[in-house]
Amino acid sequence: MFFHMVLERNMQLHPRYFGPHLHEKLTSKLVKDVEGTCGGKHGFVVAVTKVESIGKGLIREGTGFVTFPVKYQCVVFRPFRGEVLEAVVTLVNKMGFFAEAGPVNIFVSNHLIPDDMEFQSGDIPNYTTSDGSVKIQKDSEVRLKIIGVRVDAAEIFCIGTIKDDFLGVINDPDAAS
Amino acid sequence: MSVEEEENAAELKIGDEFLKAKCLMNCEVSLILDKKYEQLQNMSDDPMSQTSQVFEKSLQYVKRFSRYKNAETVKQVREVLSRNRLAEFELCVLGNLCPETVEEAIAMVPTIKSKGRFQDDDAIDKMLRDLSMIKKFE
Repeated sequence: MFFHMVLERNMQLHPRYFGPHLHEKLTSKLVKDVEGTCGGKHGFVVAVTKVESIGKGLIREGTGFVTFPVKYQCVVFRPFRGEVLEAVVTLVNKMGFFAEAGPVNIFVSNHLIPDDMEFQSGDIPNYTTSDGSVKIQKDSEVRLKIIGVRVDAAEIFCIGTIKDDFLGVINDPDAAS
Repeated sequence: MSVEEEENAAELKIGDEFLKAKCLMNCEVSLILDKKYEQLQNMSDDPMSQTSQVFEKSLQYVKRFSRYKNAETVKQVREVLSRNRLAEFELCVLGNLCPETVEEAIAMVPTIKSKGRFQDDDAIDKMLRDLSMIKKFE
């Protein structure tokens, strides 16, 4: 799920930037430092939307660098256990399939794929129902439920299921002709 | 570690900070990221070099999975859903997945049944029909 949050960060700046463009420099440094990163608490920082405030700088003893507390608004992506969302299948093998939802990778094990779907190997590996009516392969869109979230140093990894009601391949009525 | 084990979006246990934060539907994120991309294009010749992989992947994702395309409709969707006393998280999951039946809606967001916010299933059905009406006239 995407959230719009206000976060805080302490930014250090070298005295060479203490001029008329101090705030711009801090803003661009913030964006470079924070956009695209992933933290355990807030998930992935997708984009900084606004710098709310820059507090008074504090000179650090010994180095001359100054630390500024910066409050900023940003869009983050943080998956939750129990959340239902849509994703794109990126890889299919006999253990299950991998899907991507924005910056996050989700693995759905074959144990959590409905029993009536079987793995078919070949040029385009896929899971298909016995009557061939439903197929999951690379680039398929699926609706899945996240059942586990693991946070590593700089990445979030999820496991999901499509075994519950109303989960599985998305049939887009607009696409069907 | 224990905080993560207690988390469960199906029970709206997502932590205070996220419960109070503003949730964004995919279509809303799409508008925000589009604007940001435009700003980058105006400022430099090569906007692609300024964006992270996280940004690119998120942009692709919300473009692909947005049910509503223009800003007016997106605002309407939020208005319609806000008429019911939903938590931000519940509102956005419904806006993203657009369930067609009451049964589906409860499967996607189990908490709409709890806490007695909807008098009965008909109230949930009305909300879903209002939502699908917006899509029809987009």
